Amino acid sequence: MKAACHRSLWIARITFLEAIRQRFFAFLFILGAALVLASGAVRVFDFGHSELKFLADFGFGGLFLFGSILGVVMTAQLFFAEIDNRTALTLLAKPLSRAEFLAGKFLGIWAVLGVFVLVLAALLAAMLGWRAAELAQLAVERRLAPPECDLAGLALYASLQWLRLGVIVAMVLAVAAAARTFLFAVVVGALAVLAGQLQWLSQELLLKPAETGLGHAALWLLTHLLPNLQQFNLGDALVLAPHQVTAGTLPWVFLSGVAYVVAFLVLATFLFRRREI
Amino acid sequence: MRRALPWVGLFALFLAVGVLADQSWRRARLALPEIGRRELEPTVGQGVLLGVLGGFRTVVADFTWIRGYVLWERKNDRAGTELLMRAACALDPRSRFFWENTGLAVANDMGHWEIRRRGGYAKVPKEIQDHLLRGYAQRGMVLLDEGIVSTGGDAALLATAALVAELQLKDLGRSADYYRRAAEARAAPWFAARFAAANLWKEGRRREAYVWYRAHWLKVLRLAEDGSPDDLKELRDMEHELRLPLLQRLPQQSWEVSQPGFVPRTNEGVTAPSPVGGQSRK
Repeated sequence: MKAACHRSLWIARITFLEAIRQRFFAFLFILGAALVLASGAVRVFDFGHSELKFLADFGFGGLFLFGSILGVVMTAQLFFAEIDNRTALTLLAKPLSRAEFLAGKFLGIWAVLGVFVLVLAALLAAMLGWRAAELAQLAVERRLAPPECDLAGLALYASLQWLRLGVIVAMVLAVAAAARTFLFAVVVGALAVLAGQLQWLSQELLLKPAETGLGHAALWLLTHLLPNLQQFNLGDALVLAPHQVTAGTLPWVFLSGVAYVVAFLVLATFLFRRREI
Repeated sequence: MRRALPWVGLFALFLAVGVLADQSWRRARLALPEIGRRELEPTVGQGVLLGVLGGFRTVVADFTWIRGYVLWERKNDRAGTELLMRAACALDPRSRFFWENTGLAVANDMGHWEIRRRGGYAKVPKEIQDHLLRGYAQRGMVLLDEGIVSTGGDAALLATAALVAELQLKDLGRSADYYRRAAEARAAPWFAARFAAANLWKEGRRREAYVWYRAHWLKVLRLAEDGSPDDLKELRDMEHELRLPLLQRLPQQSWEVSQPGFVPRTNEGVTAPSPVGGQSRK
Protein backbone atom coordinates (compact mmCIF):
# COMPACT_ATOMS: atom_id res chain seq x y z
CA MET A 1 0.00 0.00 0.00
CA LYS A 2 2.81 2.35 0.98
CA ALA A 3 4.69 1.50 -2.20
CA ALA A 4 1.54 2.10 -4.27
CA CYS A 5 1.10 5.53 -2.68
CA HIS A 6 4.74 6.28 -3.31
CA ARG A 7 4.40 5.37 -6.99
CA SER A 8 1.22 7.43 -7.36
CA LEU A 9 2.88 10.42 -5.73
CA TRP A 10 5.82 10.06 -8.07
CA ILE A 11 3.50 10.17 -11.08
CA ALA A 12 1.70 13.12 -9.47
CA ARG A 13 4.95 15.01 -9.06
CA ILE A 14 5.91 14.49 -12.69
CA THR A 15 2.39 15.47 -13.84
CA PHE A 16 2.46 18.59 -11.66
CA LEU A 17 5.77 19.75 -13.09
CA GLU A 18 4.65 18.99 -16.62
CA ALA A 19 1.36 20.88 -16.14
CA ILE A 20 2.78 23.91 -14.43
CA ARG A 21 5.25 24.44 -17.28
CA GLN A 22 2.47 24.49 -19.87
CA ARG A 23 1.89 27.76 -21.69
CA PHE A 24 -1.82 27.10 -21.67
CA PHE A 25 -1.84 27.01 -17.87
CA ALA A 26 0.27 30.17 -17.67
CA PHE A 27 -2.04 31.96 -20.13
CA LEU A 28 -5.25 31.15 -18.24
CA PHE A 29 -3.57 31.75 -14.91
CA ILE A 30 -2.48 35.26 -15.94
CA LEU A 31 -5.87 35.95 -17.52
CA GLY A 32 -7.68 34.92 -14.32
CA ALA A 33 -5.37 36.99 -12.12
CA ALA A 34 -5.71 40.01 -14.42
CA LEU A 35 -9.48 39.68 -14.28
CA VAL A 36 -9.50 39.73 -10.49
CA LEU A 37 -7.12 42.69 -10.33
CA ALA A 38 -9.02 44.58 -13.03
CA SER A 39 -12.29 44.25 -11.12
CA GLY A 40 -11.20 47.15 -8.91
CA ALA A 41 -10.82 49.40 -11.95
CA VAL A 42 -14.10 48.50 -13.64
CA ARG A 43 -16.29 48.63 -10.55
CA VAL A 44 -17.43 52.12 -11.58
CA PHE A 45 -19.38 50.48 -14.41
CA ASP A 46 -21.44 48.49 -11.94
CA PHE A 47 -24.89 49.39 -10.79
CA GLY A 48 -27.43 47.56 -8.77
CA HIS A 49 -25.01 45.64 -6.58
CA SER A 50 -22.90 46.34 -3.58
CA GLU A 51 -19.30 47.05 -4.56
CA LEU A 52 -18.03 44.03 -2.69
CA LYS A 53 -20.45 41.75 -4.51
CA PHE A 54 -19.23 43.06 -7.84
CA LEU A 55 -15.58 42.53 -6.90
CA ALA A 56 -16.30 39.09 -5.48
CA ASP A 57 -18.23 38.08 -8.57
CA PHE A 58 -15.26 38.79 -10.82
CA GLY A 59 -13.17 36.47 -8.70
CA PHE A 60 -15.86 33.80 -8.56
CA GLY A 61 -16.31 34.06 -12.33
CA GLY A 62 -12.56 33.70 -12.92
CA LEU A 63 -12.35 30.66 -10.67
CA PHE A 64 -15.40 29.07 -12.28
CA LEU A 65 -14.68 29.78 -15.95
CA PHE A 66 -10.91 29.49 -16.23
CA GLY A 67 -10.78 26.74 -13.60
CA SER A 68 -13.29 24.66 -15.56
CA ILE A 69 -11.43 25.21 -18.87
CA LEU A 70 -8.13 24.28 -17.23
CA GLY A 71 -9.70 21.23 -15.58
CA VAL A 72 -11.09 19.87 -18.82
CA VAL A 73 -8.33 20.72 -21.30
CA MET A 74 -5.31 20.10 -19.11
CA THR A 75 -6.58 16.72 -17.92
CA ALA A 76 -7.29 15.47 -21.42
CA GLN A 77 -4.01 16.90 -22.74
CA LEU A 78 -1.81 15.38 -20.04
CA PHE A 79 -3.55 12.02 -20.28
CA PHE A 80 -3.30 11.77 -24.07
CA ALA A 81 0.28 13.07 -24.06
CA GLU A 82 1.24 9.89 -22.17
CA ILE A 83 -0.72 7.71 -24.58
CA ASP A 84 0.40 9.43 -27.80
CA ASN A 85 4.08 9.64 -26.79
CA ARG A 86 3.97 5.98 -25.71
CA THR A 87 5.35 6.92 -22.28
CA ALA A 88 2.28 5.27 -20.74
CA LEU A 89 3.45 1.94 -22.20
CA THR A 90 6.87 2.32 -20.60
CA LEU A 91 5.42 3.43 -17.30
CA LEU A 92 2.84 0.66 -17.14
CA ALA A 93 5.46 -1.94 -18.00
CA LYS A 94 7.09 -1.11 -14.65
CA PRO A 95 5.44 -2.35 -11.43
CA LEU A 96 2.84 0.42 -11.70
CA SER A 97 -0.84 -0.43 -11.87
CA ARG A 98 -3.27 1.48 -14.04
CA ALA A 99 -5.16 2.63 -10.91
CA GLU A 100 -1.92 4.07 -9.48
CA PHE A 101 -1.19 5.76 -12.79
CA LEU A 102 -4.63 7.40 -12.86
CA ALA A 103 -4.46 8.34 -9.17
CA GLY A 104 -1.08 9.97 -9.82
CA LYS A 105 -2.42 11.85 -12.84
CA PHE A 106 -5.41 13.02 -10.83
CA LEU A 107 -3.34 14.21 -7.88
CA GLY A 108 -0.85 16.03 -10.11
CA ILE A 109 -3.50 17.91 -12.06
CA TRP A 110 -5.54 18.60 -8.94
CA ALA A 111 -2.45 20.05 -7.25
CA VAL A 112 -1.88 22.42 -10.19
CA LEU A 113 -5.51 23.50 -9.99
CA GLY A 114 -4.97 23.96 -6.25
CA VAL A 115 -2.20 26.47 -7.01
CA PHE A 116 -4.53 28.23 -9.47
CA VAL A 117 -7.38 28.43 -6.91
CA LEU A 118 -5.06 29.45 -4.08
CA VAL A 119 -3.45 32.35 -5.98
CA LEU A 120 -6.74 33.66 -7.40
CA ALA A 121 -8.46 33.37 -4.00
CA ALA A 122 -5.54 35.18 -2.33
CA LEU A 123 -5.72 38.00 -4.90
CA LEU A 124 -9.48 38.20 -4.43
CA ALA A 125 -9.10 38.24 -0.64
CA ALA A 126 -6.61 41.10 -0.93
CA MET A 127 -8.97 43.09 -3.18
CA LEU A 128 -11.99 42.43 -0.98
CA GLY A 129 -10.11 43.08 2.25
CA TRP A 130 -8.76 46.38 0.96
CA ARG A 131 -12.09 47.63 -0.31
CA ALA A 132 -14.08 46.29 2.67
CA ALA A 133 -11.79 48.26 5.02
CA GLU A 134 -12.32 51.43 2.96
CA LEU A 135 -16.09 50.96 2.86
CA ALA A 136 -16.21 50.20 6.59
CA GLN A 137 -14.37 53.48 7.24
CA LEU A 138 -16.86 55.36 5.05
CA ALA A 139 -19.77 53.64 6.78
CA VAL A 140 -18.48 54.72 10.20
CA GLU A 141 -18.20 58.33 8.97
CA ARG A 142 -21.77 58.22 7.63
CA ARG A 143 -23.10 56.30 10.64
CA LEU A 144 -24.17 53.37 8.50
CA ALA A 145 -23.76 49.66 9.05
CA PRO A 146 -20.46 48.43 7.53
CA PRO A 147 -20.79 45.99 4.60
CA GLU A 148 -20.55 42.31 5.38
CA CYS A 149 -17.48 40.50 4.02
CA ASP A 150 -16.25 37.24 5.48
CA LEU A 151 -12.73 36.31 4.31
CA ALA A 152 -12.91 33.00 6.18
CA GLY A 153 -15.98 32.31 4.03
CA LEU A 154 -13.82 33.05 0.99
CA ALA A 155 -11.32 30.41 2.12
CA LEU A 156 -14.17 27.92 2.43
CA TYR A 157 -15.47 28.88 -1.01
CA ALA A 158 -11.98 28.44 -2.49
CA SER A 159 -11.76 24.95 -1.02
CA LEU A 160 -15.22 24.17 -2.43
CA GLN A 161 -14.08 25.32 -5.87
CA TRP A 162 -10.97 23.19 -5.60
CA LEU A 163 -13.17 20.22 -4.78
CA ARG A 164 -15.46 21.05 -7.73
CA LEU A 165 -12.40 21.12 -10.01
CA GLY A 166 -11.39 17.76 -8.52
CA VAL A 167 -14.77 16.33 -9.57
CA ILE A 168 -14.24 17.77 -13.07
CA VAL A 169 -10.72 16.31 -13.35
CA ALA A 170 -11.94 12.87 -12.19
CA MET A 171 -14.86 13.08 -14.61
CA VAL A 172 -12.65 14.01 -17.58
CA LEU A 173 -10.18 11.26 -16.64
CA ALA A 174 -13.08 8.77 -16.83
CA VAL A 175 -14.04 10.14 -20.26
CA ALA A 176 -10.40 10.14 -21.44
CA ALA A 177 -9.91 6.57 -20.24
CA ALA A 178 -12.61 5.45 -22.66
CA ALA A 179 -11.97 7.99 -25.45
CA ARG A 180 -9.76 7.41 -28.47
CA THR A 181 -8.84 11.02 -29.23
CA PHE A 182 -7.94 14.13 -27.29
CA LEU A 183 -10.61 16.19 -29.04
CA PHE A 184 -13.34 13.71 -28.17
CA ALA A 185 -12.29 13.76 -24.51
CA VAL A 186 -12.29 17.57 -24.41
CA VAL A 187 -15.67 17.94 -26.09
CA VAL A 188 -17.40 15.23 -24.06
CA GLY A 189 -15.67 16.44 -20.87
CA ALA A 190 -16.84 20.02 -21.49
CA LEU A 191 -20.37 18.83 -22.18
CA ALA A 192 -20.31 16.76 -18.99
CA VAL A 193 -19.27 19.87 -17.03
CA LEU A 194 -22.08 21.86 -18.65
CA ALA A 195 -24.57 19.11 -17.84
CA GLY A 196 -23.26 19.00 -14.27
CA GLN A 197 -23.75 22.75 -13.91
CA LEU A 198 -27.32 22.43 -15.16
CA GLN A 199 -28.11 19.15 -13.39
CA TRP A 200 -30.15 21.01 -10.79
CA LEU A 201 -32.82 21.62 -13.44
CA SER A 202 -33.70 17.93 -13.46
CA GLN A 203 -33.50 17.88 -9.67
CA GLU A 204 -35.98 20.75 -9.53
CA LEU A 205 -38.32 18.90 -11.87
CA LEU A 206 -38.02 15.80 -9.75
CA LEU A 207 -39.22 17.70 -6.70
CA LYS A 208 -42.45 18.58 -8.49
CA PRO A 209 -45.18 15.99 -7.95
CA ALA A 210 -46.55 16.50 -11.49
CA GLU A 211 -43.88 14.26 -12.98
CA THR A 212 -44.90 10.59 -12.69
CA GLY A 213 -44.17 7.15 -14.15
CA LEU A 214 -41.45 6.76 -16.75
CA GLY A 215 -40.56 10.46 -16.79
CA HIS A 216 -40.06 10.42 -13.05
CA ALA A 217 -37.86 7.33 -13.25
CA ALA A 218 -35.73 8.85 -16.03
CA LEU A 219 -35.30 12.07 -14.08
CA TRP A 220 -34.40 10.17 -10.94
CA LEU A 221 -31.71 8.23 -12.80
CA LEU A 222 -30.37 11.39 -14.42
CA THR A 223 -30.11 13.24 -11.14
CA HIS A 224 -28.43 10.34 -9.42
CA LEU A 225 -25.89 9.57 -12.13
CA LEU A 226 -24.81 13.09 -13.15
CA PRO A 227 -22.84 15.16 -10.64
CA ASN A 228 -24.48 18.35 -9.44
CA LEU A 229 -21.78 21.00 -9.79
CA GLN A 230 -24.04 23.91 -8.91
CA GLN A 231 -23.98 22.97 -5.23
CA PHE A 232 -20.37 24.21 -4.99
CA ASN A 233 -21.32 27.77 -6.04
CA LEU A 234 -21.99 29.07 -2.55
CA GLY A 235 -19.64 32.04 -2.92
CA ASP A 236 -22.18 34.85 -2.52
CA ALA A 237 -23.68 33.28 0.56
CA LEU A 238 -20.36 32.29 2.17
CA VAL A 239 -18.55 35.60 1.62
CA LEU A 240 -21.24 38.28 1.58
CA ALA A 241 -24.09 36.79 3.62
CA PRO A 242 -22.69 33.99 5.82
CA HIS A 243 -25.93 33.73 7.81
CA GLN A 244 -27.66 32.35 4.68
CA VAL A 245 -25.72 29.09 4.82
CA THR A 246 -27.52 26.81 7.25
CA ALA A 247 -25.58 24.65 9.67
CA GLY A 248 -24.63 21.29 8.25
CA THR A 249 -24.69 22.40 4.61
CA LEU A 250 -20.94 22.52 4.04
CA PRO A 251 -20.08 19.06 5.45
CA TRP A 252 -22.72 17.57 3.13
CA VAL A 253 -21.36 19.44 0.11
CA PHE A 254 -17.78 18.40 0.92
CA LEU A 255 -18.86 14.81 1.48
CA SER A 256 -20.75 14.61 -1.80
CA GLY A 257 -17.80 16.20 -3.66
CA VAL A 258 -15.34 13.66 -2.26
CA ALA A 259 -17.80 10.85 -3.05
CA TYR A 260 -18.04 12.00 -6.69
CA VAL A 261 -14.24 12.16 -7.00
CA VAL A 262 -13.90 8.61 -5.68
CA ALA A 263 -16.74 7.30 -7.86
CA PHE A 264 -15.34 8.83 -11.06
CA LEU A 265 -11.83 7.61 -10.29
CA VAL A 266 -13.20 4.08 -9.78
CA LEU A 267 -15.03 4.39 -13.12
CA ALA A 268 -11.89 5.75 -14.82
CA THR A 269 -9.80 2.88 -13.47
CA PHE A 270 -12.37 0.33 -14.59
CA LEU A 271 -12.47 1.79 -18.11
CA PHE A 272 -8.69 2.23 -18.33
CA ARG A 273 -8.12 -1.41 -17.33
CA ARG A 274 -10.21 -2.53 -20.26
CA ARG A 275 -8.42 -0.26 -22.69
CA GLU A 276 -5.69 -1.41 -25.06
CA ILE A 277 -2.82 1.03 -25.20
CA MET B 1 -23.70 -12.53 -15.90
CA ARG B 2 -20.26 -12.26 -14.35
CA ARG B 3 -19.19 -9.76 -17.03
CA ALA B 4 -22.08 -7.47 -16.13
CA LEU B 5 -21.26 -7.54 -12.43
CA PRO B 6 -18.71 -4.67 -12.46
CA TRP B 7 -21.15 -2.51 -14.39
CA VAL B 8 -23.88 -3.24 -11.87
CA GLY B 9 -21.44 -2.40 -9.08
CA LEU B 10 -20.52 0.90 -10.74
CA PHE B 11 -24.18 1.72 -11.29
CA ALA B 12 -24.91 1.06 -7.61
CA LEU B 13 -21.91 3.19 -6.59
CA PHE B 14 -23.10 6.17 -8.65
CA LEU B 15 -26.64 5.80 -7.34
CA ALA B 16 -25.35 5.84 -3.77
CA VAL B 17 -23.29 8.96 -4.49
CA GLY B 18 -26.34 10.49 -6.18
CA VAL B 19 -28.46 9.93 -3.08
CA LEU B 20 -25.75 11.64 -1.01
CA ALA B 21 -25.57 14.56 -3.47
CA ASP B 22 -29.35 14.86 -3.41
CA GLN B 23 -29.25 15.44 0.35
CA SER B 24 -26.42 17.91 -0.06
CA TRP B 25 -28.27 19.88 -2.78
CA ARG B 26 -31.41 20.17 -0.67
CA ARG B 27 -29.35 22.05 1.91
CA ALA B 28 -27.16 24.06 -0.48
CA ARG B 29 -30.11 25.21 -2.56
CA LEU B 30 -31.45 27.32 0.31
CA ALA B 31 -28.38 29.56 0.03
CA LEU B 32 -28.80 30.02 -3.75
CA PRO B 33 -31.78 32.34 -4.38
CA GLU B 34 -30.75 32.85 -8.01
CA ILE B 35 -31.38 29.22 -8.81
CA GLY B 36 -34.56 27.97 -10.44
CA ARG B 37 -36.04 31.25 -11.61
CA ARG B 38 -38.51 30.89 -14.44
CA GLU B 39 -37.82 34.46 -15.64
CA LEU B 40 -34.40 33.34 -16.91
CA GLU B 41 -35.66 30.60 -19.20
CA PRO B 42 -36.56 32.81 -22.20
CA THR B 43 -33.27 34.73 -21.97
CA VAL B 44 -30.88 31.82 -21.54
CA GLY B 45 -30.06 31.84 -25.25
CA GLN B 46 -29.21 35.54 -25.19
CA GLY B 47 -25.93 35.47 -23.30
CA VAL B 48 -27.45 34.91 -19.89
CA LEU B 49 -26.29 31.28 -19.80
CA LEU B 50 -22.93 32.10 -18.20
CA GLY B 51 -24.73 33.82 -15.35
CA VAL B 52 -26.97 30.82 -14.88
CA LEU B 53 -24.02 28.44 -14.87
CA GLY B 54 -22.04 30.04 -12.11
CA GLY B 55 -19.64 32.95 -11.96
CA PHE B 56 -19.96 36.47 -13.43
CA ARG B 57 -23.60 36.71 -12.34
CA THR B 58 -23.38 40.40 -11.47
CA VAL B 59 -21.57 41.22 -14.71
CA VAL B 60 -24.13 39.30 -16.77
CA ALA B 61 -26.92 40.95 -14.74
CA ASP B 62 -25.42 44.39 -15.47
CA PHE B 63 -25.25 43.74 -19.21
CA THR B 64 -28.76 42.30 -19.22
CA TRP B 65 -29.96 45.41 -17.41
CA ILE B 66 -28.23 47.71 -19.92
CA ARG B 67 -29.93 45.87 -22.79
CA GLY B 68 -33.28 46.22 -21.04
CA TYR B 69 -32.57 49.89 -20.37
CA VAL B 70 -31.82 50.54 -24.04
CA LEU B 71 -35.22 49.06 -24.94
CA TRP B 72 -36.85 51.10 -22.16
CA GLU B 73 -35.41 54.28 -23.69
CA ARG B 74 -36.89 53.38 -27.08
CA LYS B 75 -40.30 52.94 -25.41
CA ASN B 76 -41.64 50.62 -28.11
CA ASP B 77 -40.84 47.09 -26.99
CA ARG B 78 -42.77 46.46 -23.80
CA ALA B 79 -42.32 42.68 -23.78
CA GLY B 80 -38.57 42.85 -24.50
CA THR B 81 -37.97 45.51 -21.87
CA GLU B 82 -39.84 43.61 -19.20
CA LEU B 83 -38.21 40.32 -20.14
CA LEU B 84 -34.66 41.67 -19.88
CA MET B 85 -35.31 43.70 -16.75
CA ARG B 86 -36.89 40.70 -15.04
CA ALA B 87 -33.94 38.57 -16.14
CA ALA B 88 -31.55 41.04 -14.45
CA CYS B 89 -33.65 40.77 -11.26
CA ALA B 90 -33.59 37.00 -11.46
CA LEU B 91 -29.83 36.89 -12.01
CA ASP B 92 -29.24 38.95 -8.91
CA PRO B 93 -32.36 38.81 -6.75
CA ARG B 94 -30.63 40.49 -3.80
CA SER B 95 -30.18 43.74 -5.72
CA ARG B 96 -32.64 46.49 -4.78
CA PHE B 97 -31.74 48.60 -7.82
CA PHE B 98 -33.04 46.06 -10.35
CA TRP B 99 -36.29 45.34 -8.51
CA GLU B 100 -37.02 48.98 -7.83
CA ASN B 101 -36.44 50.19 -11.37
CA THR B 102 -38.18 47.23 -12.99
CA GLY B 103 -41.19 47.72 -10.73
CA LEU B 104 -41.29 51.45 -11.47
CA ALA B 105 -40.85 50.96 -15.22
CA VAL B 106 -43.73 48.47 -15.36
CA ALA B 107 -46.01 50.38 -12.98
CA ASN B 108 -45.40 53.91 -14.27
CA ASP B 109 -44.43 53.63 -17.94
CA MET B 110 -45.74 50.53 -19.62
CA GLY B 111 -49.41 51.43 -19.34
CA HIS B 112 -48.67 54.65 -21.26
CA TRP B 113 -46.70 52.74 -23.91
CA GLU B 114 -49.65 50.42 -24.37
CA ILE B 115 -52.07 53.36 -24.75
CA ARG B 116 -49.76 54.92 -27.33
CA ARG B 117 -49.49 51.59 -29.16
CA ARG B 118 -53.30 51.44 -29.38
CA GLY B 119 -53.49 54.84 -31.04
CA GLY B 120 -52.85 57.40 -28.33
CA TYR B 121 -54.77 59.15 -25.55
CA ALA B 122 -57.24 60.78 -27.94
CA LYS B 123 -58.26 57.49 -29.52
CA VAL B 124 -58.36 55.11 -26.53
CA PRO B 125 -61.45 55.59 -24.31
CA LYS B 126 -60.80 56.90 -20.82
CA GLU B 127 -62.12 53.73 -19.15
CA ILE B 128 -59.75 51.57 -21.18
CA GLN B 129 -56.88 53.91 -20.34
CA ASP B 130 -57.66 53.65 -16.63
CA HIS B 131 -57.96 49.88 -16.91
CA LEU B 132 -54.59 49.62 -18.66
CA LEU B 133 -52.80 51.97 -16.28
CA ARG B 134 -54.23 50.16 -13.29
CA GLY B 135 -53.34 46.75 -14.73
CA TYR B 136 -49.71 47.69 -15.27
CA ALA B 137 -49.53 49.33 -11.85
CA GLN B 138 -50.71 46.03 -10.36
CA ARG B 139 -48.05 44.16 -12.33
CA GLY B 140 -45.44 46.58 -11.05
CA MET B 141 -46.65 45.98 -7.51
CA VAL B 142 -46.29 42.22 -7.97
CA LEU B 143 -42.68 42.77 -9.02
CA LEU B 144 -42.00 45.08 -6.12
CA ASP B 145 -43.54 42.55 -3.72
CA GLU B 146 -41.28 39.87 -5.14
CA GLY B 147 -38.30 42.19 -4.71
CA ILE B 148 -39.25 42.94 -1.12
CA VAL B 149 -39.21 39.22 -0.35
CA SER B 150 -35.95 38.64 -2.26
CA THR B 151 -34.10 41.50 -0.56
CA GLY B 152 -35.31 40.54 2.89
CA GLY B 153 -37.69 43.52 3.25
CA ASP B 154 -35.53 46.37 1.96
CA ALA B 155 -36.87 49.64 3.43
CA ALA B 156 -36.34 51.72 0.28
CA LEU B 157 -38.15 49.12 -1.83
CA LEU B 158 -41.06 49.15 0.64
CA ALA B 159 -41.21 52.94 0.34
CA THR B 160 -41.25 52.64 -3.47
CA ALA B 161 -44.11 50.13 -3.30
CA ALA B 162 -45.96 52.53 -0.99
CA LEU B 163 -45.50 55.34 -3.50
CA VAL B 164 -46.82 53.24 -6.40
CA ALA B 165 -49.80 52.08 -4.32
CA GLU B 166 -50.61 55.69 -3.45
CA LEU B 167 -50.04 57.41 -6.78
CA GLN B 168 -50.93 54.73 -9.34
CA LEU B 169 -53.47 52.57 -7.51
CA LYS B 170 -54.86 55.35 -5.31
CA ASP B 171 -54.96 52.78 -2.50
CA LEU B 172 -54.08 54.73 0.62
CA GLY B 173 -54.58 51.81 3.00
CA ARG B 174 -52.17 49.63 1.07
CA SER B 175 -49.72 52.49 0.76
CA ALA B 176 -49.89 53.10 4.52
CA ASP B 177 -49.19 49.44 5.15
CA TYR B 178 -46.02 49.55 3.00
CA TYR B 179 -44.87 52.77 4.64
CA ARG B 180 -45.49 51.22 8.04
CA ARG B 181 -43.37 48.21 7.12
CA ALA B 182 -40.68 50.54 5.75
CA ALA B 183 -40.69 52.52 9.01
CA GLU B 184 -40.24 49.34 11.00
CA ALA B 185 -37.49 47.97 8.72
CA ARG B 186 -33.73 48.37 9.13
CA ALA B 187 -32.37 51.68 7.72
CA ALA B 188 -35.89 53.12 7.51
CA PRO B 189 -36.29 56.36 5.50
CA TRP B 190 -37.00 59.36 7.73
CA PHE B 191 -40.38 60.04 6.12
CA ALA B 192 -41.81 56.49 6.23
CA ALA B 193 -43.52 56.67 9.62
CA ARG B 194 -45.02 60.08 8.96
CA PHE B 195 -46.37 59.07 5.54
CA ALA B 196 -47.79 55.83 6.97
CA ALA B 197 -49.73 57.79 9.58
CA ALA B 198 -50.71 60.47 7.05
CA ASN B 199 -52.14 57.95 4.58
CA LEU B 200 -54.11 56.16 7.27
CA TRP B 201 -55.39 59.55 8.42
CA LYS B 202 -56.40 60.56 4.90
CA GLU B 203 -58.25 57.26 4.53
CA GLY B 204 -60.32 58.12 7.58
CA ARG B 205 -58.62 55.74 9.97
CA ARG B 206 -57.58 58.63 12.18
CA ARG B 207 -57.54 56.92 15.55
CA GLU B 208 -55.56 53.97 14.17
CA ALA B 209 -53.09 56.37 12.55
CA TYR B 210 -52.49 58.18 15.83
CA VAL B 211 -52.17 55.03 17.92
CA TRP B 212 -49.62 53.46 15.59
CA TYR B 213 -47.63 56.67 15.06
CA ARG B 214 -47.52 57.34 18.78
CA ALA B 215 -46.36 53.80 19.58
CA HIS B 216 -43.71 54.02 16.85
CA TRP B 217 -42.50 57.38 18.10
CA LEU B 218 -42.19 56.06 21.64
CA LYS B 219 -40.46 52.87 20.54
CA VAL B 220 -38.19 54.08 17.72
CA LEU B 221 -38.28 57.76 16.77
CA ARG B 222 -37.89 59.13 20.29
CA LEU B 223 -34.58 57.29 20.56
CA ALA B 224 -33.08 59.17 17.60
CA GLU B 225 -30.35 61.64 18.47
CA ASP B 226 -32.64 64.68 18.09
CA GLY B 227 -35.75 62.90 19.41
CA SER B 228 -37.53 63.34 16.03
CA PRO B 229 -39.17 66.72 16.83
CA ASP B 230 -41.00 66.98 13.47
CA ASP B 231 -42.76 63.69 14.11
CA LEU B 232 -43.68 64.81 17.61
CA LYS B 233 -45.11 68.03 16.20
CA GLU B 234 -47.20 65.93 13.79
CA LEU B 235 -48.41 63.79 16.68
CA ARG B 236 -49.34 66.93 18.64
CA ASP B 237 -51.45 68.09 15.69
CA MET B 238 -53.16 64.74 15.56
CA GLU B 239 -53.88 64.86 19.29
CA HIS B 240 -55.31 68.32 18.78
CA GLU B 241 -57.53 67.29 15.88
CA LEU B 242 -58.67 64.09 17.64
CA ARG B 243 -59.52 66.26 20.66
CA LEU B 244 -57.73 63.92 23.01
CA PRO B 245 -57.91 64.83 26.69
CA LEU B 246 -54.57 65.99 28.07
CA LEU B 247 -54.07 62.81 30.06
CA GLN B 248 -54.33 60.64 26.93
CA ARG B 249 -51.76 62.68 25.03
CA LEU B 250 -48.03 62.03 24.88
CA PRO B 251 -46.34 63.50 27.94
CA GLN B 252 -44.63 66.80 27.18
CA GLN B 253 -40.95 66.29 26.46
CA SER B 254 -38.40 68.37 28.33
CA TRP B 255 -36.89 69.69 25.08
CA GLU B 256 -40.22 70.30 23.37
CA VAL B 257 -40.83 73.84 24.66
CA SER B 258 -37.59 75.06 23.09
CA GLN B 259 -38.70 73.91 19.62
CA PRO B 260 -39.62 76.66 17.11
CA GLY B 261 -43.40 76.98 16.68
CA PHE B 262 -44.18 75.26 19.99
CA VAL B 263 -47.82 75.79 20.99
CA PRO B 264 -48.89 74.70 24.47
CA ARG B 265 -51.94 72.41 24.15
CA THR B 266 -55.10 72.50 26.20
CA ASN B 267 -58.46 70.75 26.07
CA GLU B 268 -60.02 73.93 24.74
CA GLY B 269 -60.69 75.16 21.16
CA VAL B 270 -59.70 72.12 19.14
CA THR B 271 -62.15 72.42 16.26
CA ALA B 272 -59.82 74.28 13.87
CA PRO B 273 -56.74 72.58 12.42
CA SER B 274 -53.45 73.45 14.01
CA PRO B 275 -51.62 76.39 12.38
CA VAL B 276 -48.36 74.46 12.24
CA GLY B 277 -47.45 71.04 10.87
CA GLY B 278 -49.89 68.46 9.55
CA GLN B 279 -49.17 69.29 5.89
CA SER B 280 -48.63 65.72 4.82
CA ARG B 281 -52.11 64.75 6.08
CA LYS B 282 -53.99 67.34 3.98
